[in-house]
Amino acid sequence: MKFRSLSIALLAATVATPALSQSISQTDNEWFQAGQARIQTELAKQANTNTAKNVILMIADGNGVGTNYATRLFMGQQEGGYGDDYVLPYETFPHLALSKVYNVNAQTPDSAGTGTAMMGGVKTKAGIIGVTADVDRGDCSTLPGNKVTAISEILHGMGKSTGFVTTARVTHATPASTYAKTVDRNFEDDSELPANCNTQTDIASQLINAMESGLIQVAMGGGARHFVPEDEELLVGGTGRRTDGENLIDTATDLGAYHAYDNASFADAPTDGTPLLGLFESSHMMYSADRFDEPSIADMAEAAVKSLSNDEDGFFLQVESGRVDHANHAGNLARVVRDGEAFAEAVERVVNMVDLSETLVIVTADHEHAIAFNGYCGRGSDILGLCMGIDGNGVEHTDEPNLGSDGKPYTVAGYLNGPGSVLIEQEDGSYSGSRPEVTEAQATDVDYIQQALVPRSSETHAGPDVAIYANGPWSHLIDGTMEQNVIFHVMNHAVNPY
Amino acid sequence: MQRRAFLTAGLGAITATALPGTSLGEDVIKLRDLYARDGSASDLALSREGQRITVDGFMAPPLQAESQFFVLTRIPMAVCPFCETEADWPADILAVYTKRIVDVVPFNRRIQSRGVLELGPYRDPDTGFLSMVRLNDAVYS
Repeated sequence: MKFRSLSIALLAATVATPALSQSISQTDNEWFQAGQARIQTELAKQANTNTAKNVILMIADGNGVGTNYATRLFMGQQEGGYGDDYVLPYETFPHLALSKVYNVNAQTPDSAGTGTAMMGGVKTKAGIIGVTADVDRGDCSTLPGNKVTAISEILHGMGKSTGFVTTARVTHATPASTYAKTVDRNFEDDSELPANCNTQTDIASQLINAMESGLIQVAMGGGARHFVPEDEELLVGGTGRRTDGENLIDTATDLGAYHAYDNASFADAPTDGTPLLGLFESSHMMYSADRFDEPSIADMAEAAVKSLSNDEDGFFLQVESGRVDHANHAGNLARVVRDGEAFAEAVERVVNMVDLSETLVIVTADHEHAIAFNGYCGRGSDILGLCMGIDGNGVEHTDEPNLGSDGKPYTVAGYLNGPGSVLIEQEDGSYSGSRPEVTEAQATDVDYIQQALVPRSSETHAGPDVAIYANGPWSHLIDGTMEQNVIFHVMNHAVNPY
Repeated sequence: MQRRAFLTAGLGAITATALPGTSLGEDVIKLRDLYARDGSASDLALSREGQRITVDGFMAPPLQAESQFFVLTRIPMAVCPFCETEADWPADILAVYTKRIVDVVPFNRRIQSRGVLELGPYRDPDTGFLSMVRLNDAVYS
C-alpha cells in the first residue's frame, strides 16, 4: 500500500482540524493533513483485551530494521513508486516495539538463542535450542534439568493445535525452537550427534516424535536429507544423511501424516487436520527469486492456517522466512528483498484469513545483519542500485550517481563484512584492493554482491534492535524497547490473561 | 550507455563473427543462462554444446590441491559458521576441467572461464563430484 493511499483512507476520519492557538499556514499541505489523520488514528486506538484463541508468530530471519527498510523500498519501487513511502502489510499493525536481541553469551546473537527467547521466554546462549544458559553448547551431559517449555507446548497443553512452516530446513534453529531441546543446533540428524550423547535425540527425530505426540500437526519446509538414511535417494534429489538406517518420513506417514515434496503433492495436501510433513528440498528451500516446483511461504502459511483452524480450541503457528537471512549472509541484497517480499505476502495472506479479534499476530525478526546504507541519495534511487544525487529543484533523484572520494559511484546499500569485501586475498596471503567500478545495471542484477569492508566468507549477523509488529488480543503489550524474550510472555498472557 | 547495454548491443556482432580461439572477454555467457528454470540445461546451453564458450562466475574453493578441476559458481560460495556445518552447492554450477593445474583464485574474485561446453552427468573419478554441465580443456582469467 502506498503511503498516500493510507493517508487518504485515514483522512476521512479527520473532519475537523483541531483548534490551534495560532495560525498555521501549512494546513492544506498533504503531509500536514496526513499527520493530522494519523493522530486521529492513534486517538481511536482501543486495547483488545479478548482472550486470544489463536497465536501466530511470524519471523523473518535476519530482517532487522535496516533489512526491512530495503524490502520496503524494493516493493514500493517494484510498484512504480519511490519506495520509501511504501507501507508493508505489517507496518499497518497498531502496535510496535523494539526488541533487544542479544544472547546471554553473545552480543551478536544467533537464531538458536533468539528462537529460544521468543518461544521459551528466557534468553539463553547462542547455538542451543529450547534449553537454558546452564547448558554448555555441545555437551549432552548438561541437558538434564535445563529444558524450557515452549509456548507451542503450553498452547498444545491447552488443547490447541500447533505447527510451523519455514523456508529453511525444518530442523534449522528457528523452526526447531517450536519442538526441540538440544545442546547444539547442529544436531540436525543422528550423524551429527556425538556417540556418547544419551540425553537427547537428534532434531529430526525430535520433530517426528513431536508429530507422533500431537505437539506438531503441521511442519513444512526443507531439510529432507535429515530424515532419510545416507544410502537412500530423496524424492527431492540427493541422498539422506542418517546413519541409523531410519527413514523418518516413512515413520511419519506410517503414523498417518501426509508427506508433500513438490507443488503437485502440496496441492493435494489435505487441510482437514491431517498431520502435514512438507519436505520440499534436501536442504533449505529455494530463494524466492529462484523458486521452482515448490510452494511459496505464503502458500505454506495459508495451508497451515487452514489445517490448524480445524481445531475449535484454536491454534499456534510459527511462520519463518529463513532465507532473508541466508541471502544477507551471501551479501546478495537482490535475493534478500525478494524473500522479504515473499514474507510480506505471507503476512498479508495470513492476516486476511484470521479474525484479529481473537487472533494475536506478531511479526518480528530474530536479529539484524551487518547491512548499512549510504547517503546522500535522492528520492527513487534504486535500493539495489547506485546512490543518485538529490535534485534541489525537484523530487526525483538527478540520475547522476554520487561519487566517493575515489571518484567511483557507490550503491545505496552495502555490508560491513562478507564476500563482497573490496579487500581481496593476494598470493602472499595479505589482503588489499580498492573499490571496483560498478554500474547501475551491474548493481541491480539479481546476482550482484554488494561491496563490503571486512573480508569474510559469509556476512555476519549484527546486534542492533529489530522491530516487533503486533495486532490482535493484547498486542498493545508490545510497546517500547523490550528484551526479546518478552515476546513469549505477551503470547502467554494473551491466551491466559489475568 | 551502461555496460550491460554495451555488451548486449555488441553480442550479435561478436556471435556472428566469432571464430575458434576467440580471446577471453568476448561473448561472455552468464553461468545462470546455462540452466533453465527447472534446473535442466537451457536452450542456450543445448545450442552451444561442444563449442568453446566463455562463462562468467566465481571459483569455489577447490576440492583438491594440485587439481585440474574446480567449480564455477554464479555468486561467491559463502558459509555461515553459526548457521551451517558445511556449504551446500547451489543447483546451478559449472564444473571446469582445466588444461593445467589450477592456480587458486580467491573465492570472491570474478573470473571468466573458457572451454568446450559438455552436457550430461559425469562423476569425477578423483573427487566423486557429480556434474551436469562442464567446461573441458579450459583456461580462466
